[in-house]
Amino acid sequence: MIERLHVQGVRHHSPACARLVAERIEELRPAAVLIEGPADFNDRLGELALEHELPVAIYSYASTDLAVRRTWAPMCDYSPEWVALAEGRRAGAEVRFIDLPAWHQAFDGVENRYSDAERRYTEATDRLCRAFAVDNVDALWDHLVEVADPEGLADRLDRYFDLVRGEAETADVDTAREAFMAQWIHATLAATDGPVLVVCGGFHAPALRRLVALAATENEDAAPPPLPEPPEGTETGGYLVPYSFKRLDAFAGYQSGMPSPEYYQRLWEAGPEEAAATLVQRITTRLRLRGLHVSTSDLIGARSLTEGLARLRGHERPGRTDLLDGLASALISDDLEQPLPWTRRGLLTAGTHPVVVEMTAALTGERVGRLHPDTPRPPLVDDAEAEMARLRLDGDGPLRLDLAKPKDLERSRVLHCMRLLRLPGVKRDEGPTAGADVQAHEHWTLDSRADRLPVLIESGALGATLGDAAQTVLEQRADAETALDALAAMLFDAALCGRAHLTDRLGAAVESAVDDSGNLGEVGPALATVLALWRHDHLFGTAGSDLYAAVVTACANRLLWLAEGLHAGPGPADHGRLRAMRALRDAVRHAPGLTPPAASVAAAAQRIAIDGQAPPDLRGAALGLAWALGAPANAAEAAAGAADPDRLGDWLAGLFAVAREEVLAEEQGVVSAVDELVADLSEDEFLIALPALRQAFAMFPPRERGLIAERLVAVRGGGDARSLTRKLAVDPVVMAAAMALEARVEAALAREDLVFGGES
Amino acid sequence: MTATALPAEPKLQRPPAERRYASELEKLAAEDESPRPPGWALSLQAARTFIVGDESRGISRKFVGDPSLIDRALVTLATNRGLMLVGEPGTAKSLLSELIAAAVSGDSTLTIQGGASTTEDQIAYSWNYSLLVSEGPTERALVPAPLLRGMSEGRVVRFEEITRCPLEVQDSLLSPLSDRVLAIPELDGDSMVFAREGFNIIATANTRDRGVNEMSAALKRRFNFETVFPIADFKTELDLVETEAAAALSRSGVPAPPSRDVLEVLVRVFRDLRTGDANSGRPQAVMSTAEAVSVAHAVGIKAWYLRGGTAVAGDIVDCMAGAAAKDNAEDLARLRRYLEQKAPKRKGPHWESLYQARNLLPG
Repeated sequence: MIERLHVQGVRHHSPACARLVAERIEELRPAAVLIEGPADFNDRLGELALEHELPVAIYSYASTDLAVRRTWAPMCDYSPEWVALAEGRRAGAEVRFIDLPAWHQAFDGVENRYSDAERRYTEATDRLCRAFAVDNVDALWDHLVEVADPEGLADRLDRYFDLVRGEAETADVDTAREAFMAQWIHATLAATDGPVLVVCGGFHAPALRRLVALAATENEDAAPPPLPEPPEGTETGGYLVPYSFKRLDAFAGYQSGMPSPEYYQRLWEAGPEEAAATLVQRITTRLRLRGLHVSTSDLIGARSLTEGLARLRGHERPGRTDLLDGLASALISDDLEQPLPWTRRGLLTAGTHPVVVEMTAALTGERVGRLHPDTPRPPLVDDAEAEMARLRLDGDGPLRLDLAKPKDLERSRVLHCMRLLRLPGVKRDEGPTAGADVQAHEHWTLDSRADRLPVLIESGALGATLGDAAQTVLEQRADAETALDALAAMLFDAALCGRAHLTDRLGAAVESAVDDSGNLGEVGPALATVLALWRHDHLFGTAGSDLYAAVVTACANRLLWLAEGLHAGPGPADHGRLRAMRALRDAVRHAPGLTPPAASVAAAAQRIAIDGQAPPDLRGAALGLAWALGAPANAAEAAAGAADPDRLGDWLAGLFAVAREEVLAEEQGVVSAVDELVADLSEDEFLIALPALRQAFAMFPPRERGLIAERLVAVRGGGDARSLTRKLAVDPVVMAAAMALEARVEAALAREDLVFGGES
Repeated sequence: MTATALPAEPKLQRPPAERRYASELEKLAAEDESPRPPGWALSLQAARTFIVGDESRGISRKFVGDPSLIDRALVTLATNRGLMLVGEPGTAKSLLSELIAAAVSGDSTLTIQGGASTTEDQIAYSWNYSLLVSEGPTERALVPAPLLRGMSEGRVVRFEEITRCPLEVQDSLLSPLSDRVLAIPELDGDSMVFAREGFNIIATANTRDRGVNEMSAALKRRFNFETVFPIADFKTELDLVETEAAAALSRSGVPAPPSRDVLEVLVRVFRDLRTGDANSGRPQAVMSTAEAVSVAHAVGIKAWYLRGGTAVAGDIVDCMAGAAAKDNAEDLARLRRYLEQKAPKRKGPHWESLYQARNLLPG
């Protein structure tokens, strides 16, 4: 029985493996073709048989109240799995998916079912890379498989995967999947008497052979394994979605598979020479469109380099890296900031040379899949229609919502999700916005005549429900967006949609934007917004969410880091900077678990406060921060240190911005110290200091200004506190200017001896 | 490194690569069956093996980096363009150019060291003035410099730190590179030296110096650029620091190199500072692997001779101050911030010790 079993280990999305699978089906005429794919999709294989334009993916989701887990099994023309499906069907074989469903815990954290399993066990592949002197697994794969002689490929693959699998201790997740697949194979062998071809990731192939042989010798029960039931409270489902090469190429790290889909598509269609030629042409066009210079002699140089590299590496036909290396050598006459992306793994990093960006983009391609019209339509359409009916959002005209009422909050969330999906006929006129005061009412205008259906169907790829789809939109935006203000707005959108528990990816994107931001004034508002969302937004149901907690931590760390590195000369107080310091204070106070400990923040603040190169407003704010966090701070003494007329006001603005309450709580202290300093200023110095001083004291609301005035009057022994804070008919700065002018005139008069009445 | 000691010769501090690895080169040449580009001592395949190593054939790995870089460099040299290695200081550009020259020409000594005062005399040729006065400009009076020798003997010429030379001096490479000819107008008659097969130029340039942007476009066009990056893989870098530091320490008479845990902290600190982040910026100082080795060396010496023991992570701090900060106050502040804010976030006794020692930073 076991001799009827043929296990073909493949690498997902490998044209050479796809070709091999087709050959083997042709040669074996198997009774059954078993494919690594979600077994819960087996009764819907007919959908895959429709004439789609690839790439498409089987999208699976598992949603609980807390989170949605989403997994894709992307397929393109040159996927061995796709070829196995199509050719198996054509050969009249029984075609089945035999892997666990995507919601199974074995797929925890897996977004791409067809990522390379061996990516997680790198010991053997590292050794092979060394032995063949190639940069990484992708180059190794091209070398051994894609551009190598097709003769003897099957044996070579078996040996490669045996070596990779080796004695690797596999993780439980792989063990569970392999046990499930082996049971399927065992059952199929028992039920048929023809050859059985298994197409699975090469990493699993050796294990499957072993497990099935074991089951056969021990005469185990040969029933197909029952589909596991999803856990209680989890809703699962899946459907076909159009996919794109961009997304196929965008998986990073352990999730990634073969890179450069457009290149392999061409390789699959026309072979390596054709693929290289068309891609050189595409790259040249792209570069010239971008205004980057590519001369004919560069192209000739690239071609000879590519051929030379292929020969050196022992390739009969140039491979992907030969092509890329040749082009890079010939076209780039600069030092690179980032390594060539194909020598490493993962996504492009910031600072990648523009020529390299265009080259990799050309190899990624823009192909987008399209589903056959008879494909069952995505559940999002029905979900959206049902939600709108249930919440009576299918009407027309203005709609006023009170967010404090649960029902209205629910309606608001659905509307916000629709807004994020850009469904026509949904418009918000008024409501809460990021950074502003909390507002509990929203005004919407709805128009049911707008044609929402096409947009909904297109959005079907984004998720099964409005909430899922909106979440995807947010995640995708997070991937594309780097500006921190946009990201902060996005966090607010997440709250409005009731998606506070977004996946780690959004959190990571926001955190990395925070890490990339070099501007206190940018990070500050983000921290303030998120801290507010994290702390009290019971209104949005976001209080205590993990995502916001992570961002609060990232912002606080970043602020501290930036503040300590900020060096600048004296200048007008920067309010963005001061708000940032205030936000940091609030974060340390209200979310102490999420920020560095108060003592270490205060210590850093004290260092900034005495850093002569830091701008005065920041030094004042830092002192205020240390003070507000309970560190011993002698503000009065420090004020004396900042007594320069062109610094004093800015320094105070910083101090007051962060430690207003502390200043007020003192009976004698900063205010009287400042009073003394100001009294010591000469007329000219006072005029220089005045505008900034006024700005500093404007940090206090009128009532507190009154309080300060009363204290001053008390210190000075008499006078009317009210008259000090009364709003003057003339702006004091104008008055100061007038005084200055007057002084100048008097000086001139005195100089020219024109003062009358002075002499008696 | 497996230095091959040559008998009956005084021991050199650092023999050139073709003598250090003479036996490997011999073995590769003997076993070499692939076609050799005209004028080359080895085939491309053998030259690559010489540099990236091959354990099964007893060829040591001499350059830790992407093998594809070596591929591109060698293929470039086999074409008619020069090879320009650019990168941060300390990324082993010079070592790489030495190894390539040794593999391609069997000789890495035709070297021009670029600098502000480099003149054409030092590049191409000069005259023996007493002969010039007595005989006039004859071949006997001609003193060939590396470029002329490389061209007439068909060998690879190394031009170190090319961007530190004045632009007009750099441009003297134009016609040797494009037309493969060098004119010696002073000589009567036979005044053109045509390059023999095997001649090419490997230049290195440091991105921290004036950079390659100031090179003339004409010269840039005649080079293929290869950027050499710091070692990407943590473990590889750590291994390298460990072996190199141990070797350096044993030369200094220290039998107990710092433990791997301590070196791990050191290498991690270097890598963190090297990457910096977008805005707090990277240090001005060079946080190269070579620099990490020298800090490890200093740490080991300090621990052994001053304290009579092995190094702890805290020792790194004051040795770092010299390496990472040099005389730059901003770098020192950057290092301090790193120790204050990033170090305590990492777990482990060695990081703890590093954090505790942060006050040892001067200033």
